[in-house]
Amino acid sequence: MTDPHGHGQIKLQYQPALPIPNGKLFLWLFLSTEIMFFAALIGVYIVIRFGAPDWPGPSKMHLVELIGAANTLVLILSSVTVVLALDAAQKDNASLARLWIAATFLLGGLFLGIKVFEYKSKFSHGIYPALPHSRMYEKPDVYFASAVRERLRVLYARIDADRAEIASKKTNLLAGPQTEDVQRQIKDLDDRDKVLADKKAEYEQAVGPVAGDANASAHALMELSKRIYPVHDEHEKNAEGEAEHESIGLNDKYPELKLPFVVTGGNMWATTYFTMTGFHALHVLAGLVAFVLLLFKRLDRTRAGIVENVGLYWHFVDLVWIFLFPLLYLF
Amino acid sequence: MTEPHDTHGAGEHAHAGHGTTKQYLAVCAALMILTFVSFFTFRLLHNTQVQMTWAVMMAVSCVKALLVMLFFMHLKWEASWKYVLTIPATIMAIFLMIALIPDIKWRFETIAGGRTPSEERKVHMGYEHEPGTPAETEQGGGH
Repeated sequence: MTDPHGHGQIKLQYQPALPIPNGKLFLWLFLSTEIMFFAALIGVYIVIRFGAPDWPGPSKMHLVELIGAANTLVLILSSVTVVLALDAAQKDNASLARLWIAATFLLGGLFLGIKVFEYKSKFSHGIYPALPHSRMYEKPDVYFASAVRERLRVLYARIDADRAEIASKKTNLLAGPQTEDVQRQIKDLDDRDKVLADKKAEYEQAVGPVAGDANASAHALMELSKRIYPVHDEHEKNAEGEAEHESIGLNDKYPELKLPFVVTGGNMWATTYFTMTGFHALHVLAGLVAFVLLLFKRLDRTRAGIVENVGLYWHFVDLVWIFLFPLLYLF
Repeated sequence: MTEPHDTHGAGEHAHAGHGTTKQYLAVCAALMILTFVSFFTFRLLHNTQVQMTWAVMMAVSCVKALLVMLFFMHLKWEASWKYVLTIPATIMAIFLMIALIPDIKWRFETIAGGRTPSEERKVHMGYEHEPGTPAETEQGGGH
């Protein structure tokens, strides 16, 4: 580094590396890492899904495509509102900018609300990301059979305990004086006992003898699982992609049963579904926090940069969902 | 860069490049229409031509992603710095995907929890037997 003119004085002119504010540069660098993060998740999902010997379709897992599509529209709308907020802030219209940010916040909240509704419907069907709550089994094997037996044992023991309590109450009443009131109470107890006995008989009949048979074949166990949790194969659908008959499983008919069931590939499905939508939902949540913080500020021209950065992040969250929706709901 | 009036330094280009409200609404409408395209592709084709559905939906998603990045994230109007930040990340993401492809075939053929995929699943995946591998029944099943 010699100075050709021999002045010995080098005038350094400092320039930013990229002609954008530091905040925006940081945000774009952050988004680059986020691209890698979600690319890894999506890549792993693709390997697991397409390499799986079996993969349950959305209908088997109670995943409603229309709800996913609705959520996509909600996020697209929220992307528009945030871009309009930036526009308003750049035009120094602080109140309008705040209004658009509030609208974005509400739409983001709606997205999360729909997500919570979806998660709850999974949970109510016994689909959880992992043990101990998950009631899904991979194969109709001895583990599944013993899980069904164990669940039935717990249920029957509960009913038997209730009946024993009723019986002891009845004995006490019978030992005392037989007034009209006592007679009525005894009749009530008899009725309750009969309801419980009928219930147990109904369960026993609905589940059938297979559950108690230690030597039941895999085929018989699969038939049992289908009665507990009906699954429709792809070829059972008609051309419009709808299940021809929406049969009700035992778990739907008697919600208190909560029996285990078999969905081949179902656990891997649940793991990937909850991981990907969960991480995405966390990003949505972070966005909502950012919007709340923005709502406390005066969003005039000086703050347009902040609105822009939050907006960039929000569009990225939208972008991820654009890929997650078809991959999870429509593939 | 291309616009003659955009010669200010950093941070002073707040008004230099962004779309109009009309443009944003048009992009929003396009995104919604594209969402319906994916949805109805699924409804109409998923049972008969699965691989076709996958291709259509991925193409639609890429178009949607481009629309969001170009218009909502203002990349259409930004100077060339955008390439410095977006292209390396995109290349790495794409190479990650490509690097994972052999794993799909490997998983499908070998581990898979000791199970072999059903013939139906193989057809669904568009999987073809290699000449060397033993196959109980030929695909298409004509005997």
